[in-house]
Amino acid sequence: MNRLSSKLVELKNTNQKALVAYLVAGDPDLDTTLELMHLFVKSGVDVIEIGVPFTDPIAEGPTIQRAHDRALKNDISLKMILDTVKKFRTVDKETPIVLMGYLNTFISHIDMVKSADSNSVDSILVVDVPGELNLETYGISNPNINTISLISPTTKEERVESIAKNSTGFIYYVNLRGVTGSSNLNIDEIQKNIARIQQYTDLPTMAGFGIKSIEDAKTLAAYSDGIVIGSSIVEMIDEESLTKEFGRIGKYLREMKTAIS
Amino acid sequence: MASDNFNFPDKEGFFGEYGGKFVPETLMYALEELENTYNKLKDNKDFIDEFYKDLSAFVGRPSPLYFAQRLTDHYGSGSIWLKREDLNHTGAHKINNTVGQILLAKHMGKKRIIAETGAGQHGVATATVAARLGLECHIYMGAEDVRRQSLNVYRIKLLGAQVHPVDSGSATLKDALNEALRDWVTNVDDTYYIIGSVTGPHPYPMIVRDFNSVVGKEVIEQSKDLFGKMPDAIVACVGGGSNAMGIFHPFIDIKETRLIGVEAGGKGVATGEHAAPLNDGTPGVLHGARSYLMQDEAGQVKDTKSVSAGLDYPGVGPEHSWLKDVGRAEYVAVSDDDALKAFHEVTELEGIMPALETAHAFAYLELLMKELDSSSNVVVNVSGRGDKDINTVAEIDGIKF
Repeated sequence: MNRLSSKLVELKNTNQKALVAYLVAGDPDLDTTLELMHLFVKSGVDVIEIGVPFTDPIAEGPTIQRAHDRALKNDISLKMILDTVKKFRTVDKETPIVLMGYLNTFISHIDMVKSADSNSVDSILVVDVPGELNLETYGISNPNINTISLISPTTKEERVESIAKNSTGFIYYVNLRGVTGSSNLNIDEIQKNIARIQQYTDLPTMAGFGIKSIEDAKTLAAYSDGIVIGSSIVEMIDEESLTKEFGRIGKYLREMKTAIS
Repeated sequence: MASDNFNFPDKEGFFGEYGGKFVPETLMYALEELENTYNKLKDNKDFIDEFYKDLSAFVGRPSPLYFAQRLTDHYGSGSIWLKREDLNHTGAHKINNTVGQILLAKHMGKKRIIAETGAGQHGVATATVAARLGLECHIYMGAEDVRRQSLNVYRIKLLGAQVHPVDSGSATLKDALNEALRDWVTNVDDTYYIIGSVTGPHPYPMIVRDFNSVVGKEVIEQSKDLFGKMPDAIVACVGGGSNAMGIFHPFIDIKETRLIGVEAGGKGVATGEHAAPLNDGTPGVLHGARSYLMQDEAGQVKDTKSVSAGLDYPGVGPEHSWLKDVGRAEYVAVSDDDALKAFHEVTELEGIMPALETAHAFAYLELLMKELDSSSNVVVNVSGRGDKDINTVAEIDGIKF
């Protein structure tokens, strides 16, 4: 079983919720990304989600867009990201890593994705591919890497089933109509939709987009198998990018983990 | 009547290997809703009648096919005919599509209209139809384009729409599209997104093409009347490619007519500073569709360069990519300098001031008219008028008002 799947099974068996934390690779630089990945793990993060920078990230709000732009100023490529993951794996062989990005950067590096071994990333989430399409159609397949599909508040019931069938890591439930970092959570709708997803699959469902406060995290963890935190971390990374004092981020993540436990 | 060529896009929205629906999940239902509405209405007599009534009474169609005597004399060979989309209400072909799409929005009960714009013509055309129906309207425009198309920005505001300058990325059309997509993801329940070109996810390339195809259909009839046969060549500029697709599409099966798309060569295709993905790009995925794209080896989208805001876009409509690959259309590029020269030439010779976008199509006549024999009939699609570009041209010519 792949590192991500076994981690999620382990959490489920011990009645724990997963904390998934996001950063953009190369923001402000790759050495810092590596340092932050280790800090995430130390602070209770169960799954690391690495944003692959792209020039046109249409699903991202301003905070994460700016992080993509900063990373691109450093010419961060998928190859450099995979090299950073390799360095991370020399120390940490346990923590699952998900790459989140846009189709064009992945299809430009098909060979690299194909040849990644079991000591690399564990999962790929492509934001701009409809969930019922298989990444294999685009040549993006690797037995070591599973794929995560998104389901949103506007996904019709008949599609939930086919999307769930195509997903192999977890289901990423997009909490709101909007881009990352928005703030219009409708808790009743989220609860109802996640329950609906869980009728069709045994895969864990993570709730992401728009989770800012400890309170949000607590509420949503009750209805899902875990939560994804993105924009608020990316904002703190930016604020501390000169001092590189990331203690605040560690504290924030520990509070999040406690809140959802 | 229908041939294989008219069966595209397929059910998944592909023209051969181009097109598709590469969007965030939240938009999938909206695209499906739009596709279902369009498929239900496109052959409905009342809908078609309403569309053609608006094209006639509001837009002023049909636009003339006009013989350009002095331009023809200038080249000394063949006959040059101008399809006068510049005479449409609001000054460009863009209105054909917005008149059609606003009818779809009305049928779908959407109360809020959004659009992206480059040169501002699509923004004006969208704000115009939204005003006519009393709908709230938001136009996204790259900050760089807001600067160089200030006249159109003011027109959009006069029409009661809100202009949102976009500062991210290269601050041009591509970034305006990104921002419009983000708005749509956020307000998807009550918002209709009027995409302005044959780009974006399925079903947009099909819908925009179909509404603009009125141009090519008219040219078929007008050619019969005016010179008794089909044109030997049709020349149109290509940014996203809506004016070109509108005039090309009815001709796909008329094999004796050469279809020539002219992209923005910027400082020259060889310099890399241009907006000519069909001449110097590779297939990639941007804004919901797979098509030729200006990108680097890492799959990042490159900045573009063109004197013309409406052509300053790194991608192109997927059907053009297909027409290129199967060889049914030819795609060439013309530099900023040559386009500007043609702008002045056509203005002085014909008393018609073309948009800088359109000037690219005119500039290609220099080569084309030498190639064709003297009995040839060539149609240039005059996609828009150049009033909006006066500030840009004056600035280049060093003139201050």
